[in-house]
Amino acid sequence: MYELILTVVLVSLGYIFGRRAESKHYKSIIMREKEMNTLPAMASRRPPSDGHYDQALVSGSVVIANDYFKSFVAGLRNLFGGQMRSYETLLDRARREAVLRMKQEAKTLGAEAIFNVKYETSNISGQTRKKMPVIEVHAYGTALTKYGI
Amino acid sequence: MEYKNPHIPENINTSKEHPLKDFSILLIGSIVLLLIGTVTLAFGGGWLASKIPFSAEIKIANMYDLSDDTDDDSAPELTAYLQSLTDKISEAQKLPDGMKVTAHYLDDNTVNAFATIGGHIFMYRGLLEKLPNENTLVTLLSHEIAHVKYRHPIKSLGSGIIVSIGIAALTGGTDSNIMGETGMLTVLKFGRDMEQQSDEAAAQTLYALYGHLNGGAELFEIFHNMREEMGAGESYEMFSTHPLDEDRIENFSTIAKIEGWEEIGELTPLPDFYRSALKSRDRAHQKLSAGTK
Repeated sequence: MYELILTVVLVSLGYIFGRRAESKHYKSIIMREKEMNTLPAMASRRPPSDGHYDQALVSGSVVIANDYFKSFVAGLRNLFGGQMRSYETLLDRARREAVLRMKQEAKTLGAEAIFNVKYETSNISGQTRKKMPVIEVHAYGTALTKYGI
Repeated sequence: MEYKNPHIPENINTSKEHPLKDFSILLIGSIVLLLIGTVTLAFGGGWLASKIPFSAEIKIANMYDLSDDTDDDSAPELTAYLQSLTDKISEAQKLPDGMKVTAHYLDDNTVNAFATIGGHIFMYRGLLEKLPNENTLVTLLSHEIAHVKYRHPIKSLGSGIIVSIGIAALTGGTDSNIMGETGMLTVLKFGRDMEQQSDEAAAQTLYALYGHLNGGAELFEIFHNMREEMGAGESYEMFSTHPLDEDRIENFSTIAKIEGWEEIGELTPLPDFYRSALKSRDRAHQKLSAGTK
């Protein structure tokens, strides 16, 4: 009985705070994406041929932890299979945040664009049996800064 | 050439659905599955366990060390008396060959009696003290012997073990001590249908031995009064494994009416040594009682 109450409390806390954190994060992501849109990030490996550019490796990484509510839903989802919707927002936020941080770095270099953008995702929750998913998303690319002819 | 990142609409990679919707569907689904699974396992386990021959049940019972818990040698006369009644009832109930019921006396205030695997039935001093006559004692013994006859203890143990294995498999727990947890003196939980079956058998035995049902319903009155004394009242019928005491008293009358058995008749008194044996409590050392096991 005590364990049940504890689970209910943890799940509710996870839901309330997780949801608040998520909507706050999304607001900030959407706002910063608009600001950063002047600096395009491209998956293309071929840099533009019109002009001379300095190249620099830029990267942005983010570590994001799960909340109890999400893991609880994911645990239930494990029984039935299907889309793990509760983790989708988690990864979406992490990827977009990583790109934003990469762009931020490129912006301080005065870059015009980032090419050859790639992502790495890794699970860093460790080897414990009852692990809470903690993921790291790392975005990196080549920042191109124009220099005079 | 101009490079641009288009504005990508939201909710392409994520779901628009409210997370609580997903959560409630999954939660209700898993609870329903769990209930169905538990019921199936409990039923299947009980069914499988009922296939275990009684001789094997005795071997399982022998795995538990009885010496510590049972048989107060303080009252040998009483134990012998209980055993002689048990043998008489066993005969009346026509127990199958090889099924031998052993009566045990526990010197403890608990107002209870129970049957467990291997054909052992346990009587607490607390309950024996409250019995007014032999007819009521026979009702009590018949009820417990009927549990043994219908294999209720092994069925209950079987369901219990299968359900705990199921839970262990699901939660990934490594509970290797399944047998050990459910000890010999653990009062096994019998279903309401099992209790009713035993009550009916008790009524039959009472009639077979005395020719009337007088004294039988008093057993349930004792339980009823005890519950009232404790102030607990009767728990809601749905959550109680024993049928309500009133229902059991009524059940007794119903059986009498259907079968045309007399509800009044001469009561047989308890033997003279009965009360004094129950009072002789000055033992050298306190034995381990069921409550502490």
